Amino acid sequence: MATSTPVSIPIPSSRPALSWQERVQRFLLRDSTLGYLFLFPALLIVLGLVAYPFVNAVLMTFQEKTAGAPGRFIGLANYRELLANPVFWQTVWNMLVYTGLGVGLKFCIGLSMALVLNQERFCNNLFRSFLLIPWAIPTLISALNWRWIYDDASGLINNVLVRFNLIEETISWLSDPNLAMFSVIAVVVWQGTPFFTMAFLAGLQAIPRELYEAAEIDGASILQQFWYITIARLRPIFITAVMLSTIWTSSGIQFVYILTNGGPADRTQIFPMLSFTYALGGAQRLGMGATVSLFFFPVLVIFIFFLTRRMLRERGEE
Amino acid sequence: MTLSMTTSRRLVKGVGNVLLLLMLLWTAIPFYWMVATSLKPSKEIYGYEATLIPQNPTLANYATILWDTPYMLFLRNSVTVAVASTLLSIIAATLGAYAIARLNFPGRALMARGLVVTYLVPGSLLFIPLFALFSSLRLTDSLTGLTLAYLGADVPFCTWLLLGYFRSVPVELEEAALVDGCNRISALIRIVLPLALPAIVVVIFFSFTRAWNEFLYAHVFTSTNQARTITTGLANFMNEDVFFWGPLMASTIISAILPVAMFLILQRGVVQGLTLGGVKG
Amino acid sequence: MQTRRNILRQAGTAAALVATSPWWLVRRAHAARDKKLIVWSGATLAPQVDKLLKEQFDAYIKQAGIKESEVDYSVLGTGQITPKLIASLEAGNPPDVMRLGSGSVQLYASQGHLLDVTDLFEKVQSVPGGLFPYFLADAMYQGKAYGVPHQVSPWPLITRMDILEAAKVEPPKTWDEFVEVCKKLQKPPKLTGFGPCLGLHNDTDNNVMNMIWCYGGKLVEADNKTVALHSKGTVQAVQLIADMYNKHKIIPKGAISWDNTGNNKAYQSRQVIFVLNPTSIYAHLAESDKELYDVTALLPVPAGPAGAVEEVTIGYYGLFRHNPYPEVAKGLVEYYMKPENLRVVMEEGDGRWGPPYKQMYESDFWKRPAFQHWRPMLERGRQFSHPGTTNPASGEVLATYVIARMMHRVLVENWEAEKAVEEAHKKAVEIYARHAAGG
Repeated sequence: MATSTPVSIPIPSSRPALSWQERVQRFLLRDSTLGYLFLFPALLIVLGLVAYPFVNAVLMTFQEKTAGAPGRFIGLANYRELLANPVFWQTVWNMLVYTGLGVGLKFCIGLSMALVLNQERFCNNLFRSFLLIPWAIPTLISALNWRWIYDDASGLINNVLVRFNLIEETISWLSDPNLAMFSVIAVVVWQGTPFFTMAFLAGLQAIPRELYEAAEIDGASILQQFWYITIARLRPIFITAVMLSTIWTSSGIQFVYILTNGGPADRTQIFPMLSFTYALGGAQRLGMGATVSLFFFPVLVIFIFFLTRRMLRERGEE
Repeated sequence: MTLSMTTSRRLVKGVGNVLLLLMLLWTAIPFYWMVATSLKPSKEIYGYEATLIPQNPTLANYATILWDTPYMLFLRNSVTVAVASTLLSIIAATLGAYAIARLNFPGRALMARGLVVTYLVPGSLLFIPLFALFSSLRLTDSLTGLTLAYLGADVPFCTWLLLGYFRSVPVELEEAALVDGCNRISALIRIVLPLALPAIVVVIFFSFTRAWNEFLYAHVFTSTNQARTITTGLANFMNEDVFFWGPLMASTIISAILPVAMFLILQRGVVQGLTLGGVKG
Repeated sequence: MQTRRNILRQAGTAAALVATSPWWLVRRAHAARDKKLIVWSGATLAPQVDKLLKEQFDAYIKQAGIKESEVDYSVLGTGQITPKLIASLEAGNPPDVMRLGSGSVQLYASQGHLLDVTDLFEKVQSVPGGLFPYFLADAMYQGKAYGVPHQVSPWPLITRMDILEAAKVEPPKTWDEFVEVCKKLQKPPKLTGFGPCLGLHNDTDNNVMNMIWCYGGKLVEADNKTVALHSKGTVQAVQLIADMYNKHKIIPKGAISWDNTGNNKAYQSRQVIFVLNPTSIYAHLAESDKELYDVTALLPVPAGPAGAVEEVTIGYYGLFRHNPYPEVAKGLVEYYMKPENLRVVMEEGDGRWGPPYKQMYESDFWKRPAFQHWRPMLERGRQFSHPGTTNPASGEVLATYVIARMMHRVLVENWEAEKAVEEAHKKAVEIYARHAAGG
C-alpha cells in the first residue's frame, strides 16, 4: 500500500501482554533472583555467626587484651613480638611440612582407596563403611589412643616390636625430634583419609560407565581412560577436598595438643597450638592468640582464590 | 610389551585387593586397640606392659557408661543436635551449591569464596565472641544454641563439597530440560539431585559426624545435663592428671558405631534406589 | 531511576545489617540474672568427694532459705573450665563461686574480676591454730585478699617402698644418694628409677623448679621484679637432670613427651620407682590399685646443697565480682570453710589434698604413718615463683613453658646447660618487663 505521509502506528510488541502474576513468577525464576534466594540462607547463617567475630578478631590483633576487659590498642606490637619469637620460624617450617605432607598423603591414599573401592567386589559396602571408622571417632579420642599406641613403655607398637625381637630398644616415636613430626602426621592421615576416600568415591560413582566403554572402543588404554575421564571428571572435587582439608589441617589443634603439645623442643609446634598456648593456656593474652591465628590469613585467602579460580568461572568460559 | 586388556584388568584388580587389605589393617589396628582397652579392667590397662588380647575381658566399662552416667540423655541430645543441624545444613547447602554451580548472577564468585573464608577463623578463636552472643540471646545451655553454632560451621563445607559434585554433573542434561520448558527449581529437583544422591549421602555423613563429635562448643556452651552431649560426657573421664581410659574408650566405641551404621544403611538404601531407578550407581 | 547496581548495593547493605543484627544486641542486652547463686565445681578425682561437696552445698542453701530453682550448681571437667571461664568473662557472666589455683587468683584479681574477700579471709584465719603463713601471700593482691585457701597439696617424692625395702635400701636423703639408689634398684627397660615429667607441660616446669631450689636457684627475687634464673644453682640442677637422662640413664626416654598424666601412668604401671607429683596419684590408687597403694610412700624430696624444698599447690575459693548477691556467695564459702565441714571433705579425699588449717594435722587421720611427712612438707613447701609471689608474670612463665623449653634445649638439642639457662633467663626477663610496664 503506498502512502506518502509517514504514519506513526504503534507496533505491537512481539510478546503477549503479561499479567502481574506472570511477571512476578518470571522475576522470581530469573537466574539472579534465584541465585540470591538460594544462597541467602547459607549466607545469613554464616555472616550472622562469623562476620562480626571475625572483624572482632582482626581488631584484637592490634590490642593487648584479656578476657572481660576492653583491649588496649598497641598497634603492631603483637606482630613484632611474634616475629621476634625464636619459635616463629620453626613453626612456619613445621606448618609447611605438617600441612603439605598431611594433605598430600591423605589425597594420594584417599584417591587410591576410592579407585579400589569403586571396583566391583563382594561386600564392598561393608568395606566402605569400615574404612569410615577413623572419621567417626572424635579427633580428641583418636589422638589419645595413638598417644598411647606410641608410648615408649606401654605402647602397642613398641611392645609388639620388642616381643617379636624386631628391635632391641624401644623407639621414642614422640620424644625423638626426628620422628615426632612424622608420628603426628601419621595420626592426621589415619584420621583424615576417609574424608578424601569417600568424597572421591562419590565422585567416581557419578561417572557413567558408557564413557569408559566408548573410550575403550576408540582404543584408549587404561591409563588414558584414567587421565582423560576419571581425573578430568574428578577435578572439581579434588579442588574442593584439597581446599577444605588444607584449611582444617592447618587450623586443627587436637593432634599436636594431645600427642606432643608442640614438643620435643618445638619440633611439632604449629600455629594453632601456639595460638592456644597464648590465648587459653594460662597466659590468656587474647590479642596474641588472635595474631597467631590470623597471621597467615592473607596467604590462605590468596591460596583459596587461585585454587578455586577455574571452578568459579562463569559458565560460558568453561 | 603391552598387556592385553584382560590381563591389565586382572592386574589392576589384584593390586586393588592388596591395597584394600593393607588399608583395612591400617584402619583396624588402632581401632582394635580402642576396643581392647574398653574391654580391659583398669588394672590391666595400667599393667606392666601392653597386653595384646584382654586377659580378663569385662563389660564393666560399658556398664559404667550406661548406668553410672546420664549417657542416654547425652545420646538423645547428641542425636537431636546432629540431626537438626545436618538437615538444615544440607538444605541450605544444596540450594547454595546449585546457585553457585549453575546460575549466573553478580557477586557469585565473591559469595562463594566468602563462605569458605570464614573457615580461616578457627573455632578456638571464634567461640569466645559467639559465647557472648549466645549468652545475651539466652541460647547457652540449650540444644537450639548448639544447633545454630554447628550450622555456622557446617554450611560452608557442605556447600562447597556439593558444589564440587554439581560441577561434575554434565550441564547438557539440565539444558535439555530447560529447553523443554522446565524451570530451574524443577531442574534441580528432578535431574541434578537424583544424580548427586550418592554425593549427598556422603555429605550428610560428614556433616553429621562433625556435629556428633564436636568438642569445644559442646563444652563451653552448655553447663547442665539437659543440654550436654556425648562429647561432654567424655570430658568427665579426663580429670587433671588421671584419665579413666576404660570408660573413655567404651564411650567412644558406642558413639562411633552410630554414624557408621547410619552410613551403611543410607548407602544400601541409596544404591538400591539408584539401581531400581535405572541410573548407574 | 535506580540502576541494578544501586539496588544490589542497597540490598547488600540491608542484608549485612540484618545478618549481623544479633550482634548489636550483645552490647545492649544485659543477661538478667534470675539465679541467686551460681557455682562451678571442678570435678575432683573422686566421685564421693563431688557428692559430698554437693551435699554441703544443698545444706547451705537450705539453711540460707534459698530455693533449689534459684541456684545453679555445675560439675565441670577440669580441662574444660578455662575456656569456659574465659568465654564467660567476655560475656560478662562468670560464676559466683569457683575453685581456683594461685595463678588464677592473681591473674583474675589483677584484671579486676574477683571480689574482695578480706573479711572472709580474716574469719578463716581466726580459727584456732590458724593457717600456714606461706599460703596467705598468694591470696593477696595489693593488700587485699581475693581468695580463700581451702586445699593444699605438697609434691612429695612418691616412692615404691616395697622395692626399697626388698633391697634393704634407705630412702635417699640427697640428690646424689638418689642417683645411686636409682642406678642400683632399677631394672631397665622394664623398671626405671625416676619419672619426672619432661614434656612441654606445667608439671615439667614444676618438677624442674623443685630441683632448682634444692641447688639454690630460683626464678625471681623476693621483690618480684628481678629475674634470678641464671645462677650457678640453676645450671647445676639442669646439669643434674641432663646427667640423669644421658649419663646415668635413670629417666625413661619417653619422659620427654609425657604430659601431666604421663608420670602418673608410668608409676601406676609400675614402670618407675620415684615420681614427683602432687598426691593425686596416691589418692587415686586408694580405689583403683590397693596393692600399689599399700606399698607407696610419700617421702620428702631429697636435699641438694641448698636444702630440701617441696613444691606445693594451693587451691582457693574465688568469688567473682559480677554478682548481685555477694553475701550469698560469701556465706557459701564460709560454710565450706567451717572446720567440721572441711575436715569431712578432706578425709573423704583420702590424701588428695590437705586442709590449710594447721590444727587439723593433729587429728588421727593425719597422724597415719603414710602422712607423717605432710606437715613438715607443708611448712617448707613453696610455689613456683618462690621467693617471689605468684603473679601474672610468673603465671605467664609457667604457661609458656619457659623452663620446659629450657630442658628440651639441653636434652633434645644438646645445648650446654649454661646456654639454655641463659636463654630461659632472657625470656623470663622479657615477660616480667612486659608485665611491669603494664602489658
